[in-house]
Amino acid sequence: MLRSVSPDADAGAGRAARTAVAPLSCRGLVVGYRDRRVLSHLDLEIQARCFTAIVGPNGSGKSTLLRALAGLAAAQGGEIRLHGRALSAWSRRERARRLAWLAQSAAASDLTAAEVVGLGRFAHSGWLAHRRREDDVAVHRAMTATGSLAWGPRRLSTLSGGERQRVYLARVLAVEAPVLLLDEPTTHLDPPYQEDILRLLRQEAHEAGVCVLAAIHDLSLALTADRLIVLGADGLIGHGTVREALTGDWLSAAFRTRVEIVDHDGVHLWRPALEG
Amino acid sequence: MTAVGTSVDALAPRLRDSRGSTRLWILLGGWLALTLLLTAASLLVGTSTLETSLGWLTSSDTHAAVILWDIRLPRTVGAFFAGALLGLAGAVAQGLFRNPLAEPYLLGTASGAALGVTLSLIAADASIGEIAWVGKLGITGAACLGACAAMLLTITLARGVLQTPGLLLAGVVIAFLLSSLNALLVLSRPEIWRALQMFLLGSTGFLSWPAVLLLAIVFAIAIVPAVSLSRGLDALTLGEDTALSMGLSLPLLRLGLLGIVALATAAAVGQVGVVGFVGLVAPHLVRESVAVNHRQLLIGAPLCGGTLLQLADLLSRWIIRPAELPVGAVTACVGGVYLVVLLWRRSRDA
Repeated sequence: MLRSVSPDADAGAGRAARTAVAPLSCRGLVVGYRDRRVLSHLDLEIQARCFTAIVGPNGSGKSTLLRALAGLAAAQGGEIRLHGRALSAWSRRERARRLAWLAQSAAASDLTAAEVVGLGRFAHSGWLAHRRREDDVAVHRAMTATGSLAWGPRRLSTLSGGERQRVYLARVLAVEAPVLLLDEPTTHLDPPYQEDILRLLRQEAHEAGVCVLAAIHDLSLALTADRLIVLGADGLIGHGTVREALTGDWLSAAFRTRVEIVDHDGVHLWRPALEG
Repeated sequence: MTAVGTSVDALAPRLRDSRGSTRLWILLGGWLALTLLLTAASLLVGTSTLETSLGWLTSSDTHAAVILWDIRLPRTVGAFFAGALLGLAGAVAQGLFRNPLAEPYLLGTASGAALGVTLSLIAADASIGEIAWVGKLGITGAACLGACAAMLLTITLARGVLQTPGLLLAGVVIAFLLSSLNALLVLSRPEIWRALQMFLLGSTGFLSWPAVLLLAIVFAIAIVPAVSLSRGLDALTLGEDTALSMGLSLPLLRLGLLGIVALATAAAVGQVGVVGFVGLVAPHLVRESVAVNHRQLLIGAPLCGGTLLQLADLLSRWIIRPAELPVGAVTACVGGVYLVVLLWRRSRDA
């Protein structure tokens, strides 16, 4: 099994190397459902100021890893540390302020878009929902960043799938957590919006110093990240920079078929092989 | 940062659904006015004719005063609070189980209350004529206790409040078990059948001022925590995992909300019997007229439920006057028709 490699001179990853404690890490992590073990003995250090993408075939445990790191799937073994402290040692609210999780799919509700984003402030303001100015500022900023501000007063149930996804993403951003765990943040989005969201996540990582970890289905999109966590059917293939992943051909190993990546002016694209 | 801060105030109206909330307040005002109108109207409806009732309003006859102020007024005010409790319990249950078909009785409370009544009838060994007036307090208490016991059984069977599907399933199982037990008891003592039937159909005929006071107090106790937990219900609409990830304590929220459902349902069932459909329909009526968050829903649904039961009570006295129908039969008819209309509208829109 490959271990985390020290980052090379890539912009985001290089800065992360100077951070003393990784904001999120796991050691010997084992997660499974009943008799099926999905992840076993996983060691990872997720870097700050870095946009890390998780890629791998269906059923390789991308969502499970994110759920485990968010404290939603109970670990059967090993430990997870958030800012150097065991995940379970944090109080519920304190943890929720530092770690925000985006579900792969969420139910539509009768709430307005602004109310949904406002729920992102729950860990800060609590049950009684006394509206504070800083909550309004955070909601406003998150909705502006995701381009969802115009739908503020609209019911979530009246929005399209892509519009809803941007509202959910705004909900996560409104938490203003130093660690973001996102399960397929670009689903349902049109290509230009996928681009917007990726740019936004990169900004959050590089400029705001957030630790962004996202499971991304689309290989070309995933390759725009700073670092990759590549999962195969039998566990971790590798965790490192995109260049390391390409040099080591981790993707072919993960998908058990030749995955061809082309370099288009410095942008890595997955090229479907239709000839064979 | 400051630039964003200043523009927030300018854009704040854009973030809030001001049109929706105006509509909601108009609707609430309308229901409140309807409630007052129904209260006044129900003073005039009973076994006496309309003219006689109108005459009573101005007469100084003590007999008339008793009928108006100690029989008809508590009956309609009590119907309002019982309906409000059912509306509240229904709205909370639908939010908690994230199921639009959830209703106050889904945790086996109705069957538990019925069994409690049967047991108290057998214990009192009273004839039907006496039940109505003498055994009232006993029946009320037994129904309340039966409802609470059924809910505890359900929670025990589901091994706590953690699994929503488990709770629903356990509620169904307990309801069936208690109903069959009840049926066996009634088969062996056929003489209690009529009194039990009266209770199962629901009746507002026995409401007195102490009962109204009790209902009002329970309503006040239930609505305050319900509204303060409404943000948790809002969070739950995004899914249980998302709610958990936001720092919400789900077991605590569930326990609190189940407690509110239990308290409200047991109190209402104890006083007016198993009145169906009010708890199911009231939250839908609110949501159909104006989409709402849970704070608005938990204020609107009780008002709507109270008005509905008052209306049903009035109709039950009016339709075959001077005799009356069981109020539960009226709510079932009205509610059933409404649900059919709702389903039809949904399928047409889809």
